[in-house]
Amino acid sequence: MLAVKGLRANVGGKEILRGLDFSVGPGEVHAIMGPNGSGKSTFAHVLSGREGYEVTAGSATFEGQDLLTLEPEERAQLGLFLAFQYPVELPGVNNTYFLKAALNSILKARGEPELDAVSFLRLIKEKLKILHLDDSLLKRAVNAGFSGGEKKRNEIFQMALLEPKLAILDETDSGLDIDALRVVADGVNALRSPERSMIVVTHYQRLLDYIQPDVVHVLSKGRIIRSGGKELALELEEKGYGWIDAEGQAA
Amino acid sequence: MNGVLPNGFESWLSAAPERPAGVGPDWLDDQRRVAQEQVRAQSVPTSKTEDWRYTSLKGLLEQGFAQVDESITALQPDDLEEILIPGLDSHRVVLVNGRYAPELSVLGDLPKGVRLGGLRALLDADPDALRERLNRIAGDRQPLFLALNTAGLDDGFVALFDRAVMLERPIELIHLSVGMDEPRVAQPRHLIVLGDGAQATLIERYVSLGESLYCTNSVLEISLGRDAVLQHDRIQMESANAFHLTGLYLSQDANSRYRGVNIGLGARWARTELVTRFRGEQAECDLQGLYLAGDRQLMDYHLDVAHSVPRCTSRENFKGILYGKGRAVFDGLVSVARDAQKSDAAMSNRNLMLSESAEVDTKPQLEINADDVKCSHGTTVGRIEPEMLFYLRSRGISAPLARRMLCLGFAGEIIQTLSAEALREHVSEQVGQRLESAPLN
Repeated sequence: MLAVKGLRANVGGKEILRGLDFSVGPGEVHAIMGPNGSGKSTFAHVLSGREGYEVTAGSATFEGQDLLTLEPEERAQLGLFLAFQYPVELPGVNNTYFLKAALNSILKARGEPELDAVSFLRLIKEKLKILHLDDSLLKRAVNAGFSGGEKKRNEIFQMALLEPKLAILDETDSGLDIDALRVVADGVNALRSPERSMIVVTHYQRLLDYIQPDVVHVLSKGRIIRSGGKELALELEEKGYGWIDAEGQAA
Repeated sequence: MNGVLPNGFESWLSAAPERPAGVGPDWLDDQRRVAQEQVRAQSVPTSKTEDWRYTSLKGLLEQGFAQVDESITALQPDDLEEILIPGLDSHRVVLVNGRYAPELSVLGDLPKGVRLGGLRALLDADPDALRERLNRIAGDRQPLFLALNTAGLDDGFVALFDRAVMLERPIELIHLSVGMDEPRVAQPRHLIVLGDGAQATLIERYVSLGESLYCTNSVLEISLGRDAVLQHDRIQMESANAFHLTGLYLSQDANSRYRGVNIGLGARWARTELVTRFRGEQAECDLQGLYLAGDRQLMDYHLDVAHSVPRCTSRENFKGILYGKGRAVFDGLVSVARDAQKSDAAMSNRNLMLSESAEVDTKPQLEINADDVKCSHGTTVGRIEPEMLFYLRSRGISAPLARRMLCLGFAGEIIQTLSAEALREHVSEQVGQRLESAPLN
């Protein structure tokens, strides 16, 4: 589904990704862990097409298409979704209007019929039920004045609505207390399916107690230095990133 | 030099007060004559005139506008179809090229104590009814365009509310312009008087049939008695080739509340002057504004809010979206007199620039002569945040649509202060349409 080979990328002239190899198959959940500055968020942003990241070498293909030449909206239309670490507040932009514009943009790009107001609201209600959310967030401006937990839930709600093939969760656990974390994790788990792959980017192991990954990768200095099962996350938790860094330097 | 140089506005005066003999009160003729003299005594403002520093009158003078001298009677109610706002239920007063058009107006049932309609009709029916009211608020030393309007004073819109009268449905004043063979200037004069405790909503719309060249120089005198409440939505959607001037003179007695929402979307050159005078304590004046200025377009706002008595509150909140080679001017003055303690004023002007070549000159000013007041002002000129744009695009929304959504979000704060949902939808749609055709650099 996603194949990344030898990816190198600069931010502000500084090389952050230094030859990253990574691939995800259909339905798989991969966790990417790593210390601050290892390049986790940069990787997520490069995949989603954010400006300001300069890819200098390597490739990233999504279902056979070269991802790196596409605009951010084209990537989303193909089925890529980024749940932001810091969801952006859009004052004055109504959440329902936003969700409808997003869904219809994607449907249109795929040549499918757009939803009218009635069928859209029906769909929204259905998705809210799956995630056990109430509809108060629909009437508000996108993320404006939302608490940290509400913002993250809104991200997962968007994901439920847009039904991506590949979702990248960028430090979705950051800034959440344990209750909010559980709500978000439950939402993510409800969206797991054999057709949907996920990349869970996180600093801490605790999110992985709730979202069980198939594969855990450790990122350090812009490269994946170790991959393994979910026991790797526990080992990291126990020994700390110093252990990996020390090994990485030794290697 | 005054009076020596022809000031270029003779053509506006020429046909002005030539009304049928025997019609119209003498007192009005006197006022017109005084105003004509005031016009002739003034020279054309230039860039050296402080109030006109950023706004040139050259383009306006080049057109050689002449006063409208005939009524348009050929319009049928069907012709209004494209102009009416679906779902807006109102007492409708229509003016065509500045003249009251009873055949197009639908006043509906009015409660006792409300007089609504055309200025000339009221003057003809009851010549002295307006003697103490018309041309009072605006003052004796009239600036050029006010004096021009008074000199040509002939018709317009009148709403008179006795004390404690409330009107549930809004009054909709449609000022419709229809192109003539030669470029014409219409100078409607509107008078709105609310007695003590009266309440009303007025929706004032400037629209056109076609994209013709004309000029509107409208003046409103609004007087609110004690405890009176007026919500006043103003939607300027003149033809893209039109020139538009508004002078709004507002007088507020104690405890009265005024909210004016000024939406400026049309005209190639538009200037709006809003002048507020508090006559009694604890009055509130809330001025909201939204303007779009695109290629070849100028939007110019001048605010003059004088806190001359204590304990009054004013808000001045204007937002602009500029694109292409659009230009805007915001010149806001809030003054607080020495005795006007406990005055509360907050002025803000925020601008969203969608292109490199757009320009805004913003000048909010506070002149405070009292010591126990709460006054603030702020101004911003910014661009669309790349973070916001990326967020929307990452959800599959194209860059142009994402920009429009963000602009509408920016404008929404002002749009939502309009009085009716149908009106809010109408304005959002119009703003969206204009942004859709806006060049992005």
